[in-house]
Amino acid sequence: MRTLNKLRAGIAGVVALAAIGSAGIAAAEDVKLQYWVYSDFAQGDALALQQEFIKEFTAKHPGVSIEIVGKGDDDLTAGQVAGAASRQLPDVFMNAQSVGAQLVDVGALDNLYTKWMALPEDYRAQFDADALKGCMPKPDELYCLPYTGFGSLLFRNLTVLEKAGIDASTPPATWDEWLAQMKKVKEAGMYAIPDDTLVFNSVAEIYATSGGNDSWGFDWANRKTRIDPAIMTKVLQKFVDMKELNSSTSRNDQATKDLFISNQLAFHNIGPWVNPTYADAAKTSGLKYDFVLIPGDTPGKTGGIRSYEMIGVAPGPHADLAFEFATYVTEKGQMARWAKLLSRYNANAAAMADPDVSALPLIKVSVEAAHGAMDVAAPYFISSVPSCYNSTVTDIASATADGEYTPEAGAKEMITQLNDCLAR
Amino acid sequence: MTLRRYLPHYLMIAPFIILFAMFFLYPILSGLYYSFHAWNGVRPPEFIGLTNYQKIIASRDFATAMRNLLTYVAITVPAGILVALGLALLVDNFTGRWANFFRNAYFMPVVLPAFLAATIWRWIYAPNFGLLNMMLGWFGLPSVNFLNDTGTMLYALVAVDVWVSAGFNMVIILAGLKNIPTELYEAARLDGASKGQQIVHITIPMLGPVLFFVVTYGLISAMQVFDKPWLLTGSSFTTYGGRRNALLFPVMDMMGRAFGGVRFGEAAAYGFILTVAIMVLTAAMFALRGWRGRK
Amino acid sequence: MNRMSRPSIWTVLKWVLAVSIAAIALFPIWWMINVVFAVPGEPVSLNPRLFPTSIPAGIEKIRLIFTETDYLRAYGISLLYAVLTIAGVLIIGSLAAFEFALFDFPGRRPLFGVVMLSLMVPTAVTIIPTYLLTSQLGWLNTMQGLVVPGLASAFGLFMLMQFMRAIPSDMIEAARLDGASHFQIYWHVALPLCRNALVTLAILTFMQTWGNYMWPLIVSSRPEMYTVGQVVGLFNSPLSHQTVDTVMTANLLAAIPPLVFFLIFQRKIVAGIAMSGTKG
Repeated sequence: MRTLNKLRAGIAGVVALAAIGSAGIAAAEDVKLQYWVYSDFAQGDALALQQEFIKEFTAKHPGVSIEIVGKGDDDLTAGQVAGAASRQLPDVFMNAQSVGAQLVDVGALDNLYTKWMALPEDYRAQFDADALKGCMPKPDELYCLPYTGFGSLLFRNLTVLEKAGIDASTPPATWDEWLAQMKKVKEAGMYAIPDDTLVFNSVAEIYATSGGNDSWGFDWANRKTRIDPAIMTKVLQKFVDMKELNSSTSRNDQATKDLFISNQLAFHNIGPWVNPTYADAAKTSGLKYDFVLIPGDTPGKTGGIRSYEMIGVAPGPHADLAFEFATYVTEKGQMARWAKLLSRYNANAAAMADPDVSALPLIKVSVEAAHGAMDVAAPYFISSVPSCYNSTVTDIASATADGEYTPEAGAKEMITQLNDCLAR
Repeated sequence: MTLRRYLPHYLMIAPFIILFAMFFLYPILSGLYYSFHAWNGVRPPEFIGLTNYQKIIASRDFATAMRNLLTYVAITVPAGILVALGLALLVDNFTGRWANFFRNAYFMPVVLPAFLAATIWRWIYAPNFGLLNMMLGWFGLPSVNFLNDTGTMLYALVAVDVWVSAGFNMVIILAGLKNIPTELYEAARLDGASKGQQIVHITIPMLGPVLFFVVTYGLISAMQVFDKPWLLTGSSFTTYGGRRNALLFPVMDMMGRAFGGVRFGEAAAYGFILTVAIMVLTAAMFALRGWRGRK
Repeated sequence: MNRMSRPSIWTVLKWVLAVSIAAIALFPIWWMINVVFAVPGEPVSLNPRLFPTSIPAGIEKIRLIFTETDYLRAYGISLLYAVLTIAGVLIIGSLAAFEFALFDFPGRRPLFGVVMLSLMVPTAVTIIPTYLLTSQLGWLNTMQGLVVPGLASAFGLFMLMQFMRAIPSDMIEAARLDGASHFQIYWHVALPLCRNALVTLAILTFMQTWGNYMWPLIVSSRPEMYTVGQVVGLFNSPLSHQTVDTVMTANLLAAIPPLVFFLIFQRKIVAGIAMSGTKG
């Protein structure tokens, strides 16, 4: 096996030749696929289930074996970029849709459109339409299958709300109601919410309380931001309003979770991944909490963002087999088992509709949250977002909250700078 | 004739020079080549002249990163060396088991992997209830948001830096201290020199080469600071630098452009701009030494 | 009377200072241990954790990490990586430092200049070209791919040179007059004299290799070649479902080998330093 590796490395320079040569013998010879996933897919129960999927798939494909490799978020991208440069890509892999453009750029992702269209109609209909659209920058280009994902939730500490004299039986229906509750929490001497100006995704979550997909993300044809100045003004005003109410920790900080667990923080807007931490705390220290939708400006509108992890296939001699495997793990049967085991939302709408799955509270709320949420960095797979973009958004949101800009001037300045950043 | 005479010398340095040429010189030169090209690591590089350099120098992040870097280096290098020298002199005052104990204790943070140190300090710095803020609370001081307040972020980084690296430099300085012949101190004592005078007139001058090494190396590595601010700010390839880019440093920006934006040519150009800055500073250090040496 | 009390004030001061600095240096580490040995779900930054609260909970977490990841194999890989790197850096570096510090030969200054210049080039510039070269050699996911590119350490050379410069030239002349060959002078005179520097460099190299993250990350992408840093990286992802105490446990386990390594070898340093002290 090691010799095989060395061989492969040795011929890396003439990969084109090798591809033609080995495609012919691929069927006869043993094939080993590399399957890269996020590290938490390759640990504990999640790993066991993934290995079950692999076993089922390889049972139907004699001679095929699949190696699952877990990697942390940034390591996944760095590994794929480096792998593309040396032509040592994993055959099938996960990543975030938001780095899709870079991966297309380095040739790590195959256009799957023809293979996809060759699949039966009822298979294709299983997927969440919005999630699928995220994989398709153009009508005839499909660079991924949507896999797992999330919609942001609002975790509420019920003890804090009770102490602040807030009726927690119904979640706040509108932003104004929510802000009033936050103020009450502060008056009772506790923190209302993390500082949402610190992280791009949390700025986006609050933006989504007023705006939506049509006024967020990128206009790549003109390389301009789609952010609307009037909406951003309104959103920046919200950050000013929250300035004195927040805990000054970011939504991702451990300190924020600690404040929530120790009944010092009322609301935590974040994805479902904090739930295991809070569930542990409920067991050990009696934390009382729930999770609801992030309220928007008007009743019925929700804030928050959604984002999907994708599964992509690298071009190469094993691309067909790798694609078949990708379609297998994303199929309803597998995605329903996945959701049931981990209470995690995913992009297979048919699996989410499975009665056993939709009965799970975290999934039930997640489906609604994702439905009403805003895509965090759409459209994907077209151009990579320059690093100045995200930092401009958080910087000006911070600066406006600090009083350096009026919300109106801040919004204007932000949009000018964002367009500058994209134009380069 | 001359070759025969010098052959043993060349044979001895050959292993180093060959490996060095392969794994440092060649990559550096090809990096320089790529810095004049648009290159994503995969497609053939496309020559674009100085565009990468112009683009970087004009970018807002570059100015911020350089400004942060200069402030940081100006604080952290002297602070680190002074603390290390102090620790070394302190440990040198103990003998036997206690000298061992203190030296080991001070060295312990160096032993921790960098990612661990940053992770621990993130919690120590947490606002309101972090260890440090709790201690401030005992003295009735208000909570400081060390890692999100643009006024304190840089100092918070320097503190972690000194915590991590003081032990490292202390060990090197201690080794230098032990190499100073004891006769010198005895002679000074016979001449009636006080402890302070001994430090100024014997220890520091005799430590000269070692201190020069520690300062120069400290400077060069401080200019390349990356993992600590990266982890303290919870950075990723797409978003980095902390609140309002107060902890944005050149290598962070370079890594972001390389792996976040897949622009390796631009990242290489960034690296060479930084290299020139480091070279200028180091040359200044050597010139200073030469000048002092002549004096 | 006055003369008697002065040294004692100094002694008290030095003890207070030494002990409080030791506390600052060690407490964060102790605190981390306490986070690991606590029941999951307790807030981390609140309550100054002065003592571990639940030993079984900590042991359970360690067991969990050992069963869920190949931590033991990663220890093996990282250890081998470190030991081979140390051996290579010491041998190759001391050979070159011996020449650069003590002798003159045509090309010495420009060669040394180029090596020193390389210290100033950030690794991020060279990482991709080095990676591509390693890949062309067929060394991805191999031990030589991890080790060899880091052997010509300019830092090691620089450091060893600073120490070798102190060797008196008449000592070398004396050895030469005794009929020692060039290599014998290196082996029997120069190396023993800079033993401290070698041990110190070994320790520093160990720390550097153990903590090295970026290079193993791209060069050994397959799990059977993961180093400890990479295994810890699996737990450190900000959006993973891992709870913080598990993350800390993975981190703590990574810190144990260097701590042990240091505690073992510090005796050697003490011996080395004491010896050179008497000789000096």
